[in-house]
Amino acid sequence: MSQSSVIGAGTVVRGNLSGEGSLEVYGRVEGDVSLSGEVSVREGAAVLGEIVAAKISVAGAVQGNLRGTEAVLLERGAKVVGDLSAPRIGIANGALVRGSVRTEGEAAPAQNKRVASPGPGLRPATFVAKPVAKVEPKPAAVARAEPAEPPAPPPAPKEKAPERRPPPPVLPSLGKGAKGKKKKDRDE
Amino acid sequence: MAGTVIAEGLSIEGDITSDEEVVVQGSLRGKLTSSDAVSIGPASVVQADVAGQSVSIAGQVTGDITAPERVDIQAGGRLVGDVKAARFTIADGASFKGAVDMEV
Repeated sequence: MSQSSVIGAGTVVRGNLSGEGSLEVYGRVEGDVSLSGEVSVREGAAVLGEIVAAKISVAGAVQGNLRGTEAVLLERGAKVVGDLSAPRIGIANGALVRGSVRTEGEAAPAQNKRVASPGPGLRPATFVAKPVAKVEPKPAAVARAEPAEPPAPPPAPKEKAPERRPPPPVLPSLGKGAKGKKKKDRDE
Repeated sequence: MAGTVIAEGLSIEGDITSDEEVVVQGSLRGKLTSSDAVSIGPASVVQADVAGQSVSIAGQVTGDITAPERVDIQAGGRLVGDVKAARFTIADGASFKGAVDMEV
Protein backbone atom coordinates (compact mmCIF):
# COMPACT_ATOMS: atom_id res chain seq x y z
CA MET A 1 0.00 0.00 0.00
CA SER A 2 1.53 3.32 -0.94
CA GLN A 3 2.05 5.80 1.81
CA SER A 4 3.04 9.37 2.24
CA SER A 5 6.59 10.41 1.50
CA VAL A 6 8.28 13.43 2.98
CA ILE A 7 11.29 15.34 1.73
CA GLY A 8 12.37 17.04 4.92
CA ALA A 9 13.49 20.62 5.26
CA GLY A 10 17.15 19.75 5.43
CA THR A 11 17.12 17.48 2.42
CA VAL A 12 18.09 18.11 -1.18
CA VAL A 13 17.17 15.58 -3.84
CA ARG A 14 18.95 15.89 -7.15
CA GLY A 15 17.12 13.51 -9.35
CA ASN A 16 13.69 12.39 -10.44
CA LEU A 17 10.96 11.08 -8.21
CA SER A 18 8.26 8.80 -9.48
CA GLY A 19 5.78 6.29 -8.21
CA GLU A 20 2.58 5.99 -6.26
CA GLY A 21 1.38 7.63 -3.16
CA SER A 22 1.64 11.19 -1.99
CA LEU A 23 4.56 13.46 -1.33
CA GLU A 24 5.16 16.45 0.88
CA VAL A 25 8.15 18.57 0.06
CA TYR A 26 9.62 20.74 2.76
CA GLY A 27 13.13 20.79 1.34
CA ARG A 28 14.47 21.03 -2.14
CA VAL A 29 13.98 18.87 -5.20
CA GLU A 30 15.97 19.40 -8.36
CA GLY A 31 14.30 17.13 -10.81
CA ASP A 32 10.94 15.98 -12.06
CA VAL A 33 8.24 14.62 -9.83
CA SER A 34 5.68 12.21 -11.19
CA LEU A 35 3.28 10.67 -8.70
CA SER A 36 -0.13 9.10 -8.82
CA GLY A 37 -1.28 10.76 -5.64
CA GLU A 38 -1.02 14.17 -4.13
CA VAL A 39 2.07 16.39 -4.19
CA SER A 40 2.32 19.24 -1.77
CA VAL A 41 5.12 21.79 -1.97
CA ARG A 42 5.16 23.45 1.41
CA GLU A 43 6.14 26.94 2.32
CA GLY A 44 9.88 27.31 2.16
CA ALA A 45 10.27 24.36 -0.17
CA ALA A 46 11.58 24.54 -3.71
CA VAL A 47 11.07 22.29 -6.68
CA LEU A 48 13.04 22.80 -9.86
CA GLY A 49 11.38 20.55 -12.33
CA GLU A 50 8.06 19.44 -13.63
CA ILE A 51 5.41 18.06 -11.31
CA VAL A 52 2.82 15.63 -12.56
CA ALA A 53 0.32 14.29 -10.04
CA ALA A 54 -3.35 13.85 -9.34
CA LYS A 55 -3.50 16.88 -7.09
CA ILE A 56 -0.78 19.46 -6.70
CA SER A 57 -0.82 22.12 -4.04
CA VAL A 58 1.93 24.68 -3.86
CA ALA A 59 2.80 27.07 -1.09
CA GLY A 60 6.50 27.30 -1.89
CA ALA A 61 8.56 27.89 -4.99
CA VAL A 62 8.33 25.86 -8.17
CA GLN A 63 10.19 26.35 -11.39
CA GLY A 64 8.61 24.00 -13.83
CA ASN A 65 5.27 23.02 -15.24
CA LEU A 66 2.50 21.71 -13.03
CA ARG A 67 0.21 19.15 -14.53
CA GLY A 68 -2.58 17.82 -12.36
CA THR A 69 -5.01 15.16 -13.43
CA GLU A 70 -7.47 16.43 -10.82
CA ALA A 71 -6.46 19.83 -9.54
CA VAL A 72 -3.66 22.33 -9.16
CA LEU A 73 -3.91 24.72 -6.23
CA LEU A 74 -1.57 27.59 -5.56
CA GLU A 75 -1.79 28.87 -2.03
CA ARG A 76 -0.80 32.22 -0.67
CA GLY A 77 2.95 32.50 -0.75
CA ALA A 78 3.36 30.27 -3.77
CA LYS A 79 5.81 31.33 -6.42
CA VAL A 80 5.47 29.43 -9.63
CA VAL A 81 7.29 29.93 -12.90
CA GLY A 82 5.76 27.44 -15.24
CA ASP A 83 2.55 26.38 -16.91
CA LEU A 84 -0.43 25.12 -14.97
CA SER A 85 -2.66 22.51 -16.47
CA ALA A 86 -5.50 20.69 -14.72
CA PRO A 87 -9.27 20.30 -14.86
CA ARG A 88 -9.47 22.48 -11.75
CA ILE A 89 -7.04 25.25 -11.02
CA GLY A 90 -7.05 27.50 -8.00
CA ILE A 91 -4.79 30.47 -7.47
CA ALA A 92 -5.16 32.02 -4.04
CA ASN A 93 -4.87 35.68 -3.28
CA GLY A 94 -1.20 36.41 -2.90
CA ALA A 95 0.15 33.58 -5.03
CA LEU A 96 2.60 34.51 -7.75
CA VAL A 97 2.47 32.84 -11.13
CA ARG A 98 4.26 33.29 -14.38
CA GLY A 99 3.16 30.98 -17.13
CA SER A 100 0.15 29.82 -18.97
CA VAL A 101 -2.88 28.59 -17.12
CA ARG A 102 -5.10 26.04 -18.79
CA THR A 103 -8.04 24.30 -17.28
CA GLU A 104 -8.26 21.31 -19.52
CA GLY A 105 -9.17 17.70 -19.18
CA GLU A 106 -12.33 16.06 -17.88
CA ALA A 107 -13.38 17.51 -14.55
CA ALA A 108 -13.91 14.63 -12.18
CA PRO A 109 -17.18 14.68 -10.22
CA ALA A 110 -16.71 16.70 -7.05
CA GLN A 111 -15.45 14.43 -4.34
CA ASN A 112 -16.62 14.75 -0.76
CA LYS A 113 -13.23 15.08 0.83
CA ARG A 114 -11.74 17.77 -1.30
CA VAL A 115 -14.33 20.30 -2.38
CA ALA A 116 -15.58 22.81 0.16
CA SER A 117 -18.70 21.28 1.61
CA PRO A 118 -20.89 22.69 4.37
CA GLY A 119 -19.64 21.90 7.82
CA PRO A 120 -21.13 19.17 9.95
CA GLY A 121 -23.35 21.74 11.63
CA LEU A 122 -25.50 22.14 8.56
CA ARG A 123 -28.17 19.48 8.57
CA PRO A 124 -28.98 18.12 5.16
CA ALA A 125 -32.59 17.60 6.27
CA THR A 126 -33.10 21.37 6.44
CA PHE A 127 -31.97 21.74 2.87
CA VAL A 128 -34.26 19.06 1.55
CA ALA A 129 -37.35 20.34 3.38
CA LYS A 130 -37.43 23.74 1.68
CA PRO A 131 -39.66 23.74 -1.38
CA VAL A 132 -37.54 26.22 -3.23
CA ALA A 133 -38.07 26.59 -6.95
CA LYS A 134 -34.67 28.03 -7.62
CA VAL A 135 -32.44 26.94 -10.44
CA GLU A 136 -30.43 23.99 -9.22
CA PRO A 137 -26.71 24.93 -9.05
CA LYS A 138 -24.35 22.88 -11.19
CA PRO A 139 -23.20 19.70 -9.44
CA ALA A 140 -19.55 20.54 -10.16
CA ALA A 141 -19.66 23.96 -8.57
CA VAL A 142 -21.39 22.99 -5.34
CA ALA A 143 -20.63 19.87 -3.39
CA ARG A 144 -22.90 18.62 -0.65
CA ALA A 145 -21.97 16.03 1.90
CA GLU A 146 -24.67 13.63 0.72
CA PRO A 147 -25.34 14.37 -2.90
CA ALA A 148 -27.75 11.45 -3.19
CA GLU A 149 -30.64 13.10 -1.35
CA PRO A 150 -30.87 16.73 -2.50
CA PRO A 151 -30.95 16.05 -6.23
CA ALA A 152 -34.06 13.86 -5.85
CA PRO A 153 -36.70 16.50 -4.87
CA PRO A 154 -35.48 19.41 -7.02
CA PRO A 155 -36.52 17.90 -10.37
CA ALA A 156 -40.15 17.98 -9.24
CA PRO A 157 -40.39 21.68 -8.38
CA LYS A 158 -38.32 22.50 -11.42
CA GLU A 159 -41.10 21.24 -13.70
CA LYS A 160 -43.66 23.40 -11.92
CA ALA A 161 -41.45 26.48 -12.14
CA PRO A 162 -42.73 27.70 -15.50
CA GLU A 163 -46.33 27.43 -14.24
CA ARG A 164 -45.60 29.48 -11.18
CA ARG A 165 -44.13 32.41 -12.98
CA PRO A 166 -45.98 35.64 -12.32
CA PRO A 167 -48.14 36.84 -15.24
CA PRO A 168 -46.54 39.44 -17.44
CA PRO A 169 -47.34 42.98 -16.40
CA VAL A 170 -50.29 44.66 -18.14
CA LEU A 171 -49.34 48.00 -19.57
CA PRO A 172 -52.08 50.53 -20.14
CA SER A 173 -52.27 51.18 -23.83
CA LEU A 174 -51.70 54.78 -24.77
CA GLY A 175 -53.84 56.19 -27.52
CA LYS A 176 -52.58 58.69 -29.99
CA GLY A 177 -52.26 62.15 -28.52
CA ALA A 178 -52.32 60.96 -24.96
CA LYS A 179 -50.65 63.39 -22.68
CA GLY A 180 -49.38 63.13 -19.21
CA LYS A 181 -51.24 64.97 -16.50
CA LYS A 182 -50.12 68.56 -16.45
CA LYS A 183 -48.00 69.52 -13.54
CA LYS A 184 -49.92 72.65 -12.73
CA ASP A 185 -52.92 70.56 -11.89
CA ARG A 186 -50.99 69.01 -9.15
CA ASP A 187 -49.41 72.16 -7.84
CA GLU A 188 -51.10 73.53 -4.80
CA MET B 1 10.40 16.46 12.90
CA ALA B 2 9.91 13.30 10.94
CA GLY B 3 12.95 13.91 8.78
CA THR B 4 12.83 12.49 5.33
CA VAL B 5 10.78 9.44 4.45
CA ILE B 6 10.85 7.76 1.09
CA ALA B 7 7.68 5.71 1.28
CA GLU B 8 7.15 2.33 -0.27
CA GLY B 9 5.60 3.39 -3.53
CA LEU B 10 8.19 6.05 -4.28
CA SER B 11 11.20 5.58 -6.48
CA ILE B 12 14.05 8.06 -6.64
CA GLU B 13 16.73 8.17 -9.29
CA GLY B 14 19.38 10.57 -8.21
CA ASP B 15 21.23 11.82 -5.19
CA ILE B 16 19.84 12.60 -1.80
CA THR B 17 21.74 14.89 0.51
CA SER B 18 20.35 15.54 3.94
CA ASP B 19 21.23 16.80 7.37
CA GLU B 20 18.43 14.93 9.06
CA GLU B 21 17.22 11.37 9.52
CA VAL B 22 16.38 9.52 6.35
CA VAL B 23 14.10 6.49 6.20
CA VAL B 24 13.97 4.64 2.91
CA GLN B 25 11.11 2.25 2.27
CA GLY B 26 10.88 2.65 -1.48
CA SER B 27 13.55 2.33 -4.06
CA LEU B 28 16.58 4.49 -4.57
CA ARG B 29 19.14 4.49 -7.28
CA GLY B 30 21.99 6.91 -6.98
CA LYS B 31 23.58 8.15 -3.81
CA LEU B 32 22.40 8.83 -0.31
CA THR B 33 24.32 11.04 2.07
CA SER B 34 23.13 12.13 5.46
CA SER B 35 24.78 13.56 8.51
CA ASP B 36 22.22 11.81 10.69
CA ALA B 37 20.84 8.29 10.93
CA VAL B 38 19.83 6.36 7.83
CA SER B 39 17.38 3.51 7.98
CA ILE B 40 16.61 1.27 5.03
CA GLY B 41 13.33 -0.55 5.46
CA PRO B 42 12.53 -4.17 4.67
CA ALA B 43 10.70 -3.55 1.43
CA SER B 44 13.20 -1.19 -0.05
CA VAL B 45 15.64 -1.74 -2.86
CA VAL B 46 18.64 0.54 -2.87
CA GLN B 47 21.32 0.74 -5.51
CA ALA B 48 23.44 3.45 -4.04
CA ASP B 49 26.37 4.29 -1.88
CA VAL B 50 24.98 5.21 1.49
CA ALA B 51 26.68 7.48 3.96
CA GLY B 52 25.18 8.36 7.29
CA GLN B 53 26.03 8.80 10.92
CA SER B 54 24.62 5.34 11.45
CA VAL B 55 23.06 3.05 8.86
CA SER B 56 20.56 0.31 9.50
CA ILE B 57 19.79 -2.07 6.65
CA ALA B 58 16.70 -4.26 6.56
CA GLY B 59 16.16 -4.29 2.82
CA GLN B 60 18.27 -4.91 -0.23
CA VAL B 61 21.24 -2.65 -0.71
CA THR B 62 23.88 -2.72 -3.41
CA GLY B 63 26.54 -0.15 -2.71
CA ASP B 64 29.16 0.91 -0.24
CA ILE B 65 28.15 1.95 3.23
CA THR B 66 30.06 4.53 5.22
CA ALA B 67 29.07 5.43 8.75
CA PRO B 68 31.35 6.89 11.39
CA GLU B 69 29.22 5.43 14.15
CA ARG B 70 27.76 2.06 13.22
CA VAL B 71 26.27 -0.13 10.52
CA ASP B 72 23.69 -2.82 11.30
CA ILE B 73 22.33 -5.36 8.86
CA GLN B 74 19.00 -6.63 10.21
CA ALA B 75 17.55 -10.08 9.72
CA GLY B 76 16.16 -10.21 6.21
CA GLY B 77 18.52 -7.47 5.10
CA ARG B 78 20.93 -7.98 2.28
CA LEU B 79 24.01 -5.96 1.51
CA VAL B 80 26.39 -6.32 -1.38
CA GLY B 81 29.10 -3.74 -0.96
CA ASP B 82 31.83 -2.54 1.32
CA VAL B 83 31.31 -1.32 4.84
CA LYS B 84 33.33 1.29 6.64
CA ALA B 85 32.22 1.90 10.19
CA ALA B 86 33.45 1.87 13.73
CA ARG B 87 30.86 -0.74 14.78
CA PHE B 88 29.23 -3.35 12.61
CA THR B 89 26.65 -6.02 13.26
CA ILE B 90 25.17 -8.66 10.99
CA ALA B 91 22.01 -10.21 12.41
CA ASP B 92 21.26 -13.88 12.07
CA GLY B 93 19.38 -14.24 8.78
CA ALA B 94 21.02 -11.29 7.09
CA SER B 95 23.05 -11.57 3.89
CA PHE B 96 26.29 -9.79 3.28
CA LYS B 97 28.99 -9.76 0.70
CA GLY B 98 31.77 -7.23 0.75
CA ALA B 99 34.79 -5.89 2.52
CA VAL B 100 34.70 -4.48 6.01
CA ASP B 101 36.91 -1.76 7.37
CA MET B 102 36.33 -0.94 11.02
CA GLU B 103 38.97 1.73 11.08
CA VAL B 104 41.16 -0.34 13.26
